Amino acid sequence: MNAGELKIVFAGPMGAGKTTAIRALSDIEPVSTEVGNTDLASHSKQLTTVALDYGHLQLDDGNVVKLYGTPGQSRFAFMWDILCAGAIGIVLLVDASRDDALDDFRAFVDTLRRIARDQPLIVGVGRPTSADGSHLAPFQAHLASQGIVAPVFGVDARERADVLLLVETLLCVLEARVEEKTRAVN
Amino acid sequence: MPSTNVAFRPAEFAQAAGQHLEAFVAANSDVAYAVLTTSDGFEVAAHPKKPLTQKLAAMSSSLQALSEAISREAGLSNARNLVIEAESGTIVVLGLPGTAPRMSLAIVSGNSETLGHLLWAARNCCAALAALRPG
Repeated sequence: MNAGELKIVFAGPMGAGKTTAIRALSDIEPVSTEVGNTDLASHSKQLTTVALDYGHLQLDDGNVVKLYGTPGQSRFAFMWDILCAGAIGIVLLVDASRDDALDDFRAFVDTLRRIARDQPLIVGVGRPTSADGSHLAPFQAHLASQGIVAPVFGVDARERADVLLLVETLLCVLEARVEEKTRAVN
Repeated sequence: MPSTNVAFRPAEFAQAAGQHLEAFVAANSDVAYAVLTTSDGFEVAAHPKKPLTQKLAAMSSSLQALSEAISREAGLSNARNLVIEAESGTIVVLGLPGTAPRMSLAIVSGNSETLGHLLWAARNCCAALAALRPG
């Protein structure tokens, strides 16, 4: 990886909007590994990612962010380990409208704390179930209960500005960590 | 593991495919596993059937999708076979002709037989499996 290349991984359950988010943000036509979804009992979407998504975002400062999306289903967990290796941070997307949204979220947080323990985590909650943002509270509460400091945003994965906010927040968290370390050394 | 949609994997087809894979493994002594998968990583049939074969199904579908993606990016038309040559054996993943959603056959083999023989036998197996599909 070149000095100006940063790798960010979009993780989350099936249908959370990972492929959509990368498509919204990428400067290039993303690499997709979507195939027909045969498990319509679990999710009604027609296509599902089975290996990865890959996109590319050029930042104003010249850095390039490489955007990787994971498959959402646990049978593809081997890809999560592979894709998170070398990432500077993780964006976890979740669909608030799903009945099992919080259970899925808990499972992903547990997994990500194991395979990406040191990388900052940013959470994007899609398909809001409240107008006042109160649907974010259970996700924030779970993170707090685990002692995890991670910003939680309501997002629309189709909106470039929303997805860009997640990435920019992640970069700000990283920058703050570097400054903190520098202060500690001095 | 999420539930499976039996509409794409009717029990009769899975049973017939399993018997066919058993015969294939018996006829090709170097083959350790033969797994028939959906394109989204579900095991349809396998021989021998073990917990590992579910993982092989998911991994082979990822690899198949990646091989198709890299073929597209490189400007090559439809990827056909995926071959992994390891020190002590070979894995081949082949798409079943005429299946939609696509199914694939993943075979794990030792290296006693030549790759050419393995591919020839695997292609014949794919054709036979495709013919078992309900019309």
